[in-house]
Amino acid sequence: MSEPALLDVKCLVAGYGNKTVLHDVSFQVMPGKVLTLLGHNGCGKTTTLKAILGLNDRAKGEVWLGGRRVDQEPVSARVAQGLRLLPEGRGIFATLTIGENLDVVADRNCRVPDSRIGVQEVLKLFPALAGRLSTLAGSLSGGQQQMLALGLALLGSPRCILLDEPSIGLAPNLVERLFDMVREVCRSAGVGAVLVEQNVSASMKIADHVTILNNGAVVFDGSPDEARESNFWHFF
Amino acid sequence: MLFLDLLADGVVTGCAVGVVAVTFTMIYSTTRVFHVAHAGIYTVAGYSTWFLTTRGLPFWLAIICSIAVCAAVGALIQHQLYTRLARRDAPPLVLLIASLGALVVIQNLMAALFSPNILQIPADWRVLTVGIGSIRLSMPQILLAVSSLVIFAGLLAWSRYTSLGKRTRAVAANEFLAEITRLEPRRVYITVMAIASGVLAVPGSLTALDHGLQPYTGTLVLLTATIAMIAGGMGNLFGAFVTSVILAALQTTSTLVIPGQWSIAATFGLFVILMIVAPTGLFARRPR
Repeated sequence: MSEPALLDVKCLVAGYGNKTVLHDVSFQVMPGKVLTLLGHNGCGKTTTLKAILGLNDRAKGEVWLGGRRVDQEPVSARVAQGLRLLPEGRGIFATLTIGENLDVVADRNCRVPDSRIGVQEVLKLFPALAGRLSTLAGSLSGGQQQMLALGLALLGSPRCILLDEPSIGLAPNLVERLFDMVREVCRSAGVGAVLVEQNVSASMKIADHVTILNNGAVVFDGSPDEARESNFWHFF
Repeated sequence: MLFLDLLADGVVTGCAVGVVAVTFTMIYSTTRVFHVAHAGIYTVAGYSTWFLTTRGLPFWLAIICSIAVCAAVGALIQHQLYTRLARRDAPPLVLLIASLGALVVIQNLMAALFSPNILQIPADWRVLTVGIGSIRLSMPQILLAVSSLVIFAGLLAWSRYTSLGKRTRAVAANEFLAEITRLEPRRVYITVMAIASGVLAVPGSLTALDHGLQPYTGTLVLLTATIAMIAGGMGNLFGAFVTSVILAALQTTSTLVIPGQWSIAATFGLFVILMIVAPTGLFARRPR
């Protein structure tokens, strides 16, 4: 019997105003696995992540997390159940120190009985942040800001992380390090991840599964090897 | 010495304006609403304290009740006006006009309920004075200066060291991230509005005790506070408070060299020049 999906997205339809951007998008994320969501600019990748988290008012369809349907619940309830978003740009509080960033999010997300990742665990994962707790987050380098952003997304009891183009603005070696960290966190903590990326080659390296969108619809859904064999570049 | 008396008077007035500026800055930097109805809350503070003292309550108890009244009115404005408009994606200009509307309603309500004439809070001790060297200050002035400094220091400490204060700064820094990390920005907005409105009751009541109260006096105080907020460096609580004191001290001491009716224009003129020279404000944080 196959393992149940951690995140199950069924027939997702979403848009803005009168425009429908997503058409019946469906995919599954397994525990500890990384699903890379690819597609050209404007194909609906970010809209998919927002719709999963409940940030799109016009979203329809079903979102199941760990066997529980969550698409009727507000954003805060979905986050409490373990859905996390690392937003595009810098997902940090720039005018707060690193320590304050971690404290303020931990204060809301780690005071639950099933909390698995606290501030100390995040600092062990990202030792570069540990010695600089009183440094303003906005003054960190791009790579360190993304580490902090990932750390914030992990605090509490994450079950599935939605990463929206985390490589933007980072040097290639930093992208590789960051993606290695994502893969490591997913495997060690059994956390699922949906990785939306423009950097196709780097994201394919850590992908366990690939889904490709074209004009808001799924045009490919399979393993990275199948994607390579099917000449997936023609979708871009 | 007249200069020292005027300077002391200006510093005391500046402390009261400073609390208005600091609370206005807190609200603006967190909610992004240019909350001009804050002047209305300042007016409500004076009238509620007057109402309660004329019904026999001791002044200190009346102020405590006023803090609760102002906090409730502030929270109500946020919850019933700004939040509703924000849910409908109202642009900042609509929120500003709504706030202006709330200010006009509050001021006219006060005038209709309590008369537009000057009212005096009944407290015999308000005429007592204390000498500090050659300077004489009234009891309300001393209370005003001390309480304003305590409130200012308290708000700074609250913002820096308490978990709610840090959460408020986080919401101000990145509302979207606050939403997706369960910091509940809308609840924070209501809390900030309640705290900022509640503490405003102290200078609002003490100034009313010192000078008497009228429905429209809060508008000029807010104008000075707004200029202090901008000239002090947007979002900088320390800058807002210190600039308020400087502005008020300039206004009072300038009467030594120019006619009194020109003091406000001269002071604000000076700040217009300052803004041209330093558009980000006197205490703006330097980019790193």
